[in-house]
Amino acid sequence: MERAEFPFLGYGAGLRRPHYAEVAGGRPRMDWFEIVSENFMVAGGPALKTLERVRANYPVVMHGVSLSIGSTDPLDRDYLRQLAELARRIEPAWISDHLCWTGAAGRNLHDLMPMPFTEETVAYTAGRLRTAQDILGRRIAIENVSSYLTYTASSMAEWEFVAAVADAADCAILLDINNIYVNAFNHRFDPYAYVDAIPRERVVQFHLAGHSDYGTYLLDSHDHPICDGVWELFDYAVGRFGEASTLIEWDDRIPPFATLAAAADESRSRARAVLSRRVRSRAEGATR
Amino acid sequence: MTPTDPPPLSLRDLQLQLMRMIVAPTGVAEAIAEEPALAANGLGAIVRGDDRLSARERVEIYANAYFYRLLDVLKEDYPLTFTALGSDRFHNLITSYLLEFPPTEPSIFFAGRHLADFLRTYPAAVERPWLPELAGFERAMLEAFHAADATPLDASALRSTPPAEWPGWSMRLAPAVRLLMGDWAVHETAGPNPAVILPDPPRSTPAAIAIWRRDGDVLFRGLEPPEAAGLARAAGAQGARFEEICAAVAAKIANPGDAVESINRMLARWLADGLLIELDR
Ligand SMILES: [Fe+2]
Repeated sequence: MERAEFPFLGYGAGLRRPHYAEVAGGRPRMDWFEIVSENFMVAGGPALKTLERVRANYPVVMHGVSLSIGSTDPLDRDYLRQLAELARRIEPAWISDHLCWTGAAGRNLHDLMPMPFTEETVAYTAGRLRTAQDILGRRIAIENVSSYLTYTASSMAEWEFVAAVADAADCAILLDINNIYVNAFNHRFDPYAYVDAIPRERVVQFHLAGHSDYGTYLLDSHDHPICDGVWELFDYAVGRFGEASTLIEWDDRIPPFATLAAAADESRSRARAVLSRRVRSRAEGATR
Repeated sequence: MTPTDPPPLSLRDLQLQLMRMIVAPTGVAEAIAEEPALAANGLGAIVRGDDRLSARERVEIYANAYFYRLLDVLKEDYPLTFTALGSDRFHNLITSYLLEFPPTEPSIFFAGRHLADFLRTYPAAVERPWLPELAGFERAMLEAFHAADATPLDASALRSTPPAEWPGWSMRLAPAVRLLMGDWAVHETAGPNPAVILPDPPRSTPAAIAIWRRDGDVLFRGLEPPEAAGLARAAGAQGARFEEICAAVAAKIANPGDAVESINRMLARWLADGLLIELDR
């Protein structure tokens, strides 16, 4: 995998409707933006115009929710055509989607359903990822999803599944730190062991987000500030993977843009702190 | 695999079974009872529970997320229909609607596209016969917002065209323009986009409504029959020649002596609002 296909973009935020005017008109300070691709698969109108204006001033990544790479329906060629068309129009830094299925039998649940973690589903999903990458003519990044159930059929850990699919598909990984944290609680595993098992060279991007605590489970609601536990796991991930393009996701109860900018700044200063500690400890090791 | 293990479920079967439970309108428990394989072996055959949450409760998290995500989107897409029905009736409407028209498109924008059609046969619409037109009006506003961009005809195009060429000039409605013809003045119940108002049910009267987009805003107004006839003539991909549009307007004007002045006034407004685009001459 060529890292040059996924250049370091800095510390960004998801572009959401309440901030369209502010971002398109005011050029606020932000390294880059991520869009939900499907929100711009329309014929025309103000949303696309906003996107074009944002793109003129910032790098943009297209993050999809309906590739449904793990579905047993045929790959949706028409969807891939629309995705490629949007990519031609806005020239994103890259395209990403999720390691999940979103529907079957022609229906869309509009949700990111987890896969059973088995050797068969690794091969199946990776094969479809390769096809999707061929059709799009580019390597894509695939994101680990949050989940609330475990399939009886699963025979490997989630992190083994993610790593195996990415290796077999030769694709990049968009590592969602909050999703690891949420799943670690929901399925009782060690989130640090998860991070340790993800292949270093494939991680090109981090997601950070807030979740809701329902006592018996954590819900990946993207409607809260990022909690301490997720920040600490992010620090650890930066220690393992180095600096990677980082993005704050906020999809519900969306705060003022300044709150997103502050969270992006915090992710930058935390990452820099981790990296400078790493450099210092190496230097100290050398003088000893 | 020991001989007593049930055969492993194919990924296809797994996805279809889980999906049926998630979309079931009566809840996951009843859906399990209706699945022969699950009723016999229990939900544990496909999903694991634990001391925190049973397998059923885990599937219910997805079932609730499915319904409430779509309910929220449709509330936002149909604020007048929601206000007219109230929270509980709207909830029931969407439950029934999703059974007949589940989402099939990659973008959630399409989830509500059949709501007006669905309302035509929906029981709560019997006492509110204007509901399908109200929902149709809201859908048309949303479609106008996302419709293709186009360069409209404007007054300068008119000035630069010799009057002798006007009759044969081919034009059609811009892609963002929607014309609605119905039996209720549903547009009178709406505030300027996107504010919501529905003080009383709409008036029962033949109504023509034009919806269009300008500078990113979706606008609408009621049309008198001559103007509605003229714009309707220009609808469709073929559009019409200007003389045909004029004839359609004139046919609805009681006093033929007023026709020329009316058409001039209408045309000026159509051009100012950007309702028309030029077809190849
Ligand atoms: Fe994410």
